[in-house]
Amino acid sequence: MTVFAIVLLPLLAAVLCWIPAVGKRAAAPVTFVSSAGLLALTIHVTARVVVLGKVVALANWVEVDSFGALILLLVSSVGVLACIYSLGYMPKMTHDSSILHHYYGNFNLFIFSMVLVPVVVSPSIEWLAVEFTTLLSVLLVGFESNSEALEAAWKYAVLTLTGAAIALFGFLLLFWAMQKGGGGSYTWAGLAAVAAKMPPVVLKTAFLMILVGFGAKVGLVPLHTWLPDAHSQAPTPICALLSGVETTAVLYVILRLMPIVRPALGGAIERWALIFGLLSVGVAAFLLIQVHDYKRLFAYSTVEHMGIILTAAGFGGAAAHYGAMYQILAHAATKSFCFFAAGAVLLLTGERDIASIRGLMQRSRVAGSALLVGALAIAGAPPFVVFLGEFLILRAGLSEGRYVAVGLLAVFLVVAFFGILLHVNRMVFSRVAGEARVLTEPEPPTGEEIEGEERLGSPPWISVSLTPVERPTGTASAHLAEALEAMPSPTASQVVRAEGHSSGPGASEAHPASLEASSASSSPSSVRTRTDGLSAPPVVADPKFPSGFAGGLPWPCVLTLLLAAIPVVVFGVYVPHPLYELLSRAAAVIGG
Amino acid sequence: MAGESFLYQFNALTGGLFLLCTFGMVATRQVQGCMRFFILQSLFLAASAFLLGIHPVLWGLLAVAAINVVNKPILVPWLLRRTIPEEIHTRREISQVLNIPAALLLALAIAVGAYFLTLPWVNLAGTSAAGVNIPIGLAALLLGAFTLTVRREAVPQLLGLLAMENGAFFTSIAIAPELHLLVELIVAFDVLIAVFVIGVLTRAIHKQIGTTQVGALAALREESSR
Amino acid sequence: MTSHILFNLLQVAVVMAFAPLLAGVTNRLKEVIQSKHGPNILQPYWDIWKLFHKDEVISDQSSWIFRFTPYLVFITPLFVTLLIPVLTSYPLFFAFMGDMLGAGFVLALGGFFFTLAAVDTANPYGPMGASRTRLVGFLAEPVFMIVFFTVSFIAGSTIPYIVQQQWVQPLSRFFEPAHVLIILAFFILILAEGGRIPVDNPSGHFELAMIDESKGLEYSGPAAALMKWGGEMKLFVLICVFLNVLFTPWGLASTTAVSDVLLAIPLVLFKILIFVVVLVIVESSLAKLRLFRISEFLGVAFITSVAAMIMWLFAM
Repeated sequence: MTVFAIVLLPLLAAVLCWIPAVGKRAAAPVTFVSSAGLLALTIHVTARVVVLGKVVALANWVEVDSFGALILLLVSSVGVLACIYSLGYMPKMTHDSSILHHYYGNFNLFIFSMVLVPVVVSPSIEWLAVEFTTLLSVLLVGFESNSEALEAAWKYAVLTLTGAAIALFGFLLLFWAMQKGGGGSYTWAGLAAVAAKMPPVVLKTAFLMILVGFGAKVGLVPLHTWLPDAHSQAPTPICALLSGVETTAVLYVILRLMPIVRPALGGAIERWALIFGLLSVGVAAFLLIQVHDYKRLFAYSTVEHMGIILTAAGFGGAAAHYGAMYQILAHAATKSFCFFAAGAVLLLTGERDIASIRGLMQRSRVAGSALLVGALAIAGAPPFVVFLGEFLILRAGLSEGRYVAVGLLAVFLVVAFFGILLHVNRMVFSRVAGEARVLTEPEPPTGEEIEGEERLGSPPWISVSLTPVERPTGTASAHLAEALEAMPSPTASQVVRAEGHSSGPGASEAHPASLEASSASSSPSSVRTRTDGLSAPPVVADPKFPSGFAGGLPWPCVLTLLLAAIPVVVFGVYVPHPLYELLSRAAAVIGG
Repeated sequence: MAGESFLYQFNALTGGLFLLCTFGMVATRQVQGCMRFFILQSLFLAASAFLLGIHPVLWGLLAVAAINVVNKPILVPWLLRRTIPEEIHTRREISQVLNIPAALLLALAIAVGAYFLTLPWVNLAGTSAAGVNIPIGLAALLLGAFTLTVRREAVPQLLGLLAMENGAFFTSIAIAPELHLLVELIVAFDVLIAVFVIGVLTRAIHKQIGTTQVGALAALREESSR
Repeated sequence: MTSHILFNLLQVAVVMAFAPLLAGVTNRLKEVIQSKHGPNILQPYWDIWKLFHKDEVISDQSSWIFRFTPYLVFITPLFVTLLIPVLTSYPLFFAFMGDMLGAGFVLALGGFFFTLAAVDTANPYGPMGASRTRLVGFLAEPVFMIVFFTVSFIAGSTIPYIVQQQWVQPLSRFFEPAHVLIILAFFILILAEGGRIPVDNPSGHFELAMIDESKGLEYSGPAAALMKWGGEMKLFVLICVFLNVLFTPWGLASTTAVSDVLLAIPLVLFKILIFVVVLVIVESSLAKLRLFRISEFLGVAFITSVAAMIMWLFAM
């Protein structure tokens, strides 16, 4: 009964949100109540699954086993966090708040589609559920309705629906193979019962088609191109859901198939999983380095992590499967946290460009440290949960004797680690010059851009930044301009930082004052920068966001960040016994 | 016996025309023409399901035929007309990535490839209908994906998607006639939702950038994001 | 044996006699569909008669090819007539001389000399038409090849008399997808080779837009009559191949009885009449394509013919 409630609750909430009379007034509270209720129900079901091993709501149609419960738990936890986050985030980021109930309606539908995936046991309904996760989230991805968001939504829809059509063919072939193998009911269990008797020639193609088709949705490499677009252009709470749990929920279907095709095909499926997985990890790790948009950074990291999980499944063996399950948990917790942090940055600066954000720590301790923690955690730094997952996987791979694959994986992980931290480090630290840029200038001028005009005299954006510390502006700013001209931006910022240090440690205390000053005096500079062809307005000079601890972040966002940080930190050092039980049983499900 | 051989022959003929319609979707230059070929293709799918289900009578297949006749030739165009009327009624030419003869030649190669790819399954299935429906279904699936990639417009891309689904079912009616009717119904439902969602999205794109040339949307790249 | 020779000559006579009528009926029907009265269906006969009684002008810049071509254009369709089933469903005396491929080559020979003759004069429109004909020819040739190969692949023979039996015994073979697709492809070919509307406009009077017509502009008098007659017979022969070999192999005489053969004449003419009605409807409902779109049109024919071959593989 509870399982039905889990499926129907978001649907009910969606209906309520779509009714204009209710939705216009109470869409957000309704969504919050339904998400919270969903989490409570899910915990209840998960507890029963841990005790009983399996919850059957309607035999052969709706059942929840350990693996399903894990996904369900992740979906509803991230769902409730994303909902809280939306309360603070969406009103600030939406131009037209009168359509916000559409957002919440679609949000609930999206949650509905994702809880549908782990509870149904018939592959054909499973296909429909996965198709729904696309269809019901397309409009959310394009919610901001600018041309980039619509482009992202279009690519997302077309590529993933194409994949779904290929997977449909695969599922139909799978059904045929099951018939050839001697019938039964078309469920995971029914398939597993005749697994050894299915004709390999059909089964192989069926599995490959599903792997490729749903791989497009998971973001496995040849078909990953939509993922950075969609996961960066969607509203941030949706990004957290898309990246954190939707990809995983689809990967769940692929992983479920592995024990079914293993008896007939043997080691071949492990090989494919390894190839696709390592390809994804490798390509994503190198693509990470050259991104310019920090949300895309985390999106590529999702591709990488999906690859890691698939690689873990490809290693084979109970330990690797446990590692895969642990990594699923770790990725969902960490990646949603990362996106919440990225959303906070976006909220504070209005910028998507990594290069235009410097000195975040001074703007807002919360956003800065969240971004830093998130980046460290997702890159796999030791005390956090992803580290443990990756460590488990590498160790299991070694014990399975897959030395080449483990070696490649380790190299890619290191590359990704440096790629992520390279970008985030610059955003969070780089203090004084960063301050100067964040204060008055939307995009940092590269060498070519500041030629000419800035050469003539002291540029206003530097004199403004130096006002509070009362330096004689003439020579110093000319010197700075020269330094900036001569060097690429990171090096230049270091030079400037040295200058700032010499001016005394009072820089950051003087910061609020500098903001006051800049808000008064930055209007000419903003006009100036616009005439330079830099169209975005200097966002941080907005008095709506004072600098400091939270930096003007809405409290639901801060709350979400704090809540989301808990599993990232805690599960890295301590796994509670019921969770361990759940994970190891889920690992047994894909172990067959 | 004679009756059965006629049924088989008609099914093969339906398959041939189904394949020809799929080629037509690659070859035509107009949105409307593409739509008509899609409708014809769906009707041939229904006809094939009918022919395979009539003797011996398989109610599942007859229901598939009925669902297809109602769903794709009637409901899908109706939904598209409701969401994006200016796109459906247009006789404007579609912009293509490849010129049409080249696209056709590639499409041909894909169809021949589909035939060789499915040879082992055909031998496994062993029925005469499977020999027609499996390769043609796979060919339609691949050609639908091909249409998607060579077309730059929203509606033809959507039709390519639906053609892929048609292809999948063209195969399934021959190899898995026992498939639960519920599956057919939910897929039909899913097609409608997909058409609706993509229609709404297309309308938003049309409103935002004034065209539905989705191929022209190329702002999101690593190089240009700065 | 004698009767075989006689019937063979009768076939030639039928083709010669009724080819202008085919053109007349087609023209009349077209006008009728456009709600006009149209010329008399016997008008082509009068045209030919009139041209034979006119003086001939030959450019002194032209070579022997120009003078030789009208005879070749006139003779090649008649030669093909000897090889194909026009009235009988059994091979006649001269049928051993060539198969369908041979017939195709003989027709192509006439076309080749026609093109050469067009280039031979200094008339600027001739070479233009010739090059366009070659463009269409290049595109149509592969389709011809695939159609013939598919047909002979299916029937196991390139002899038209064997091929025509393939489709009707048993009757369910008529609905062979390969057969239907071949018919479609061949129909498109007739439109292209016969200079019909989506490819060329036979009744157009604007030289720059012409493909086929502009090649014969320099001919006058009896030579023009031969060219005109030959062109009409070529279409008649193509339609005979299409109907008697591929599409509707019924209504032909299957015995050597004279009455049977004579009865076959009206039956075949009736089939041709129905075909002409279809042709005219198709022509009237299509617009002439731009020159560079012809490749797409024939591309469709090519795809159809190859699809026929694939379908045969599938169904085997």
